[in-house]
Amino acid sequence: MTETALGGGAIAASTSLNNPKVAAAVRIGLAWLIFSALLALAFSLHETPGRGAAASLSLLIGVALGVIFQRGRFCFFCIMRDFIEHRNSSGMFAILSALAVGGIGYAIVFGAFMPNPSGGGLPPDAHIGPVSWVLVAGGVAFGVGMALSGACISGHLYRLGEGYARAPFALFGSLLGFGVGFFTWHTLYTEAIATAPIAWLPKTLGYGGSLAVHLAALSALACLLLRYLPELPPQAGGKITWQKLYRTVFVTRWNPLVTGALVGLVGVFAYFRVAPLGVTSQLGSLTRTALSSAGLLADHLPGLDALAGCAARAGHAITNNGLLIGGLVAGSLAIALFTNRFRLSRLTLRGALTALLGGALMGWGAMVSLGCTVGTLLSGISAFAISGWVFGGAVFAGVWLGIKLRLPE
Amino acid sequence: MAFRRLVTLFALAILIASSFAAPSLRARADLPESAVVSTEWLAARLDDPKVRVVEVSVVPGLFERGHIPGAVNFVWHTDLVDPVIRDIVSPEAFQKLARAAGINNDTTVVLYGDNNNWFAAWGAWIFAVYGHEDVRLLDGGRAKWERENRPLSVRPASYPEGNFTAKPARREIRAFLSDVLAVVKGEAEGAILDVRSPAEYEGRIFAPEGFQELAIRAGHIPTAVNVPWGRAVKEDGTFKSVEELRQLYASVGIDGSKKVYVYCRIGERSSHTWFVLSRILGYDVAQYDGSWTEWGNTVGVPIKNPAGTVWGRQ
Repeated sequence: MTETALGGGAIAASTSLNNPKVAAAVRIGLAWLIFSALLALAFSLHETPGRGAAASLSLLIGVALGVIFQRGRFCFFCIMRDFIEHRNSSGMFAILSALAVGGIGYAIVFGAFMPNPSGGGLPPDAHIGPVSWVLVAGGVAFGVGMALSGACISGHLYRLGEGYARAPFALFGSLLGFGVGFFTWHTLYTEAIATAPIAWLPKTLGYGGSLAVHLAALSALACLLLRYLPELPPQAGGKITWQKLYRTVFVTRWNPLVTGALVGLVGVFAYFRVAPLGVTSQLGSLTRTALSSAGLLADHLPGLDALAGCAARAGHAITNNGLLIGGLVAGSLAIALFTNRFRLSRLTLRGALTALLGGALMGWGAMVSLGCTVGTLLSGISAFAISGWVFGGAVFAGVWLGIKLRLPE
Repeated sequence: MAFRRLVTLFALAILIASSFAAPSLRARADLPESAVVSTEWLAARLDDPKVRVVEVSVVPGLFERGHIPGAVNFVWHTDLVDPVIRDIVSPEAFQKLARAAGINNDTTVVLYGDNNNWFAAWGAWIFAVYGHEDVRLLDGGRAKWERENRPLSVRPASYPEGNFTAKPARREIRAFLSDVLAVVKGEAEGAILDVRSPAEYEGRIFAPEGFQELAIRAGHIPTAVNVPWGRAVKEDGTFKSVEELRQLYASVGIDGSKKVYVYCRIGERSSHTWFVLSRILGYDVAQYDGSWTEWGNTVGVPIKNPAGTVWGRQ
């Protein structure tokens, strides 16, 4: 068997271990070890009293996301930057594809969970949030934070697995930002969020109508973005062989449409079995617990516990969301090792500080917007929430602003 | 021939084995089936059009992510209380809700839910207030059904509109502050039963752990005795036997000779005890759903606070 067949080890010589064959074996062995450990953990969580299937599934969903994000480079910042700076829209199609598949899936699940959408209630735990200027401010801050720190929160999580050295600083910064968010929450809630409309398309249009509008809007965006799609390399025809299949899955970057569709599918599975996808509730609850136990924050934040989203309650234990985040980082690390994409990046003081500051901006934005690019944008738009579109637009504006201000440099 | 003999032997073995298993398939003999049904009983009647299963759970999304096949969902916060006035659901709204669930006047309604059937028992009490005769609880609630690995479904059930007619509210099973105050003052006969935890009863805490404080006085209604609701169930959440229950309440002087008034914090736990005393033991019981959040906040009503805590100076 060739090295390539073991894990795309053609560039393995650049690993610190001198013998490329040994290096590849160590790398691939580690990857297998991580995957096996994750699987064993999923099994044991399932059997743990008080945890069960939801915990085990959360971990596995995280692993799936880690693999998909890494292989498909599903990084909101990279995608938006490619478009804004290089006029390359191919990554944007991954987002559109995720939203299209997510919308179809959510419509199906909603129909089972809540057959009549016009009755006044909202489907359980779906990320449908209040729309106010706070959401816009949160989105813009989040976008600027992405530009400053080099990725969004989910991006930092999976890039942590790739060895991106700024990621820990950005994630720590987001914890600080969450803290600031909790302190500003009371004012923002009473000033704007409490009376803001929680707009949900199916309430007026039904599920069918909402899905039609949803897909039409995504198609319109796709048409606009089509002219920015770079020319594709010529594709070789012929029979599908094992080598070809291996290359497609483990060597070449995944097609954006496929990556997006998989993200959308995982999102639907997550909503159906556990909760809508989100990657910040564990970060928020960590901060909140720390602040509450230090006596700095009131135990009760008005309105927050009643709104669906990623700003979780204070709690000591690792939540299902924590398992998802852990799975995401570990899954990305394992697949990066397996495919030889793990590179410990160089860290400068400037890089660390901007990551910290950008992370703080993202933390504040995610807290007041009740989620990030995954929780509010992806899970929100898939759930036909107007809040998802508003947040998405604001994030894009923030990233655009950040790039125009040359923050990423 | 040998094969045939083997088959006969095998069939005989199954017959003997099943006769041993049979007792567990029957309803529990120590509880009235007209009030409490076992999971086996319900599993055998899921397709019976005369039986309607209703889930009342407090955790959002629980019903939606899987419920007993064919069950309908009643939401405590919006369906079983008035969303504006502090009151139980109006008769018109409840009639509409029950009819939409395909409930007729002669339907056997089986309620179940999370949290040890607390809110399902509230549902049973509301059915009783509006005069529905045949209301039962699933023994052990949702937890037991899940523990036994019985099937759950995510498909919404839909039934043709029922003809349930809400009768005028039965005042004798619902108590207001004035009714309880009359007992405290000795103007009416009755026994008052507090089903909260001893710490709440004695006034050591203002609200159970994890709950927001909703009353500015701690303690209990004078003359009330304390039997926490949970003492009516076994460790697995199923009800204790009639004899055990009778003894449990008799030990604090609640024996059915006087009318009983039950209360807790907002009326959810006391619904459970109301069900035990009225439907299982057959006592004359009224639930005081205003409970401690009304009593402990009302100006001028007497309270008893053995712990002597003062609000705001904990």
